[in-house]
Amino acid sequence: MPESKENKASKTFKQRKSFATRKEEAGGIRGKFPMKVPVIVERYYKEQHLPLLDKTKFLVPQELSMSQFATIIRNRMTMSSNQAFYLLINNKSISSMSVTLAEVYQGEKDEDGFLYMTYASQEMFGGC
Amino acid sequence: MDLFDRVDATLTYECGPLAYDDFPRTELPVYLLGEVYSVIHDLDELRHDVKSRLWLTYRKNFPSIGGTGPTSDAGWGCMLRCGQMMLAHALILRHLGRSWRWDEGTSDEKYKRILRMFQDKKSSYYSIQQIASMGVSEGKAVGQWFGPNTIAQVLKKLVVYDEWSSLVIHVAMDNTVIEEDIRCLCKPAEYQDRLDRKEIHGMKKQMSNSPGAQLIDCCNECASSNVNSSISVHKKEVDITKWKPLLLVIPLRLGLTETNAVYVESLKCCLSFRQSVGLIGGKPNHAHWFIGYVGDELIFLDPHLTQNAVDIDDPDSTDTSFHCDHSSRMKILELDPSVALGYFCESEADFDDLCLSIRKFIMCSGGTVMFEMCKTRPLHWPPYEPHTKKPSGVNTSEFTLVERASCGSDEDFELVG
Repeated sequence: MPESKENKASKTFKQRKSFATRKEEAGGIRGKFPMKVPVIVERYYKEQHLPLLDKTKFLVPQELSMSQFATIIRNRMTMSSNQAFYLLINNKSISSMSVTLAEVYQGEKDEDGFLYMTYASQEMFGGC
Repeated sequence: MDLFDRVDATLTYECGPLAYDDFPRTELPVYLLGEVYSVIHDLDELRHDVKSRLWLTYRKNFPSIGGTGPTSDAGWGCMLRCGQMMLAHALILRHLGRSWRWDEGTSDEKYKRILRMFQDKKSSYYSIQQIASMGVSEGKAVGQWFGPNTIAQVLKKLVVYDEWSSLVIHVAMDNTVIEEDIRCLCKPAEYQDRLDRKEIHGMKKQMSNSPGAQLIDCCNECASSNVNSSISVHKKEVDITKWKPLLLVIPLRLGLTETNAVYVESLKCCLSFRQSVGLIGGKPNHAHWFIGYVGDELIFLDPHLTQNAVDIDDPDSTDTSFHCDHSSRMKILELDPSVALGYFCESEADFDDLCLSIRKFIMCSGGTVMFEMCKTRPLHWPPYEPHTKKPSGVNTSEFTLVERASCGSDEDFELVG
């Protein structure tokens, strides 16, 4: 079922689908593409500078490095190379850029079988 | 004897009229902008070091930005001030050295010249007026808040006009430091061949078409002179074989809503390098310039005090409001995750040494590395473009992906690669 962009913006992938559905989906896609990693890429809900991606689900060749994957996402947003952009795994930390998606998947995949990433730029500072 | 001293000191500390708590009484070393101090033995020297830094705070009643804009930066300029402080420290290192100290009434001409570059006047290279106006090219209207990367990008553009310092700023994006890019920026002559081979005539064309091209020609020490020097003949040619002093800035995001605790040790390590010029970041919304750490606390200078603007060109003015008697402290975990590390490398040897320290640090930090270091640029990155005073265009890459086809049945997956 295609969902409207507004829904996508307000609800995360996990909120939109039950664990069972996600698990089934990840399992299915892994069965079909065993050499690819199913990744969910979402925008940090407080992010104000980076555009919303038109897709959240990515099937990524497992040998791709994090650096390559970050470049792909960067390019999809056609942003200036001087703009801050970070991909955080599991809402926690930036991954080493030289490791492959397979390695990240191995260590950080969710129980449902997806690998979750959030993208964000930097916070701005001001106040009295 | 030592014991007695300490007991005595502790008593004084507890019973006496304790004025300041800028440093805890601890045997732990204090790392401060590449130096190490002991609070117990070197407190005076430590404080003198802190006080020697330029302290740039909110100001009011300065000449309006852009003629009709704000006359105060209170409430919005804190990150701009922190960027100024970090750069000012780099310039002090550049012109006066790490051991230089400020004393009230100093008549040091180099120091005065540096200070004048930061006063709140349009004509000063690194004034609030210049920074806020240049921010427009980064998509920030005058008065809008900056992030650490924003101020780094703006300073990178402004520094090319300051011929006296001939400093270059490199901002390492995507938490990746590319050695080759930096060597190319700082020592363009050695990389001239390499650049020529890559046929960057596109850049040359872009430069000569740009409105700022003439300005660039006047400023042959600018960051783009590796290109520029080959096309413009200038009277006072600088030695392009010489290493240009470098301010390296590494903007990072150490978590989403808060700084991830796994980075605490890494942060300390990065602040302890000899080349450190601190960290710009802050508590949420409040920017600080972090100048070091002791134990699990960061030491910082705070721009959040609105002072009256001072005209340093007025002979009756004093510079005391540009120096802070006492730094502040906060827990590392209170740090907002958006930060930028700064390093100053006066010479190539300094840079080599920094690379070595960073490599060692990355090796030791296991899975919690904050940033990467590569010798050469990854192939999937767009070619390196040193700053040319024209806002850089849209990112291009040889790496094309994306078959837009969705993969079967009801799946809306995006196939990558």
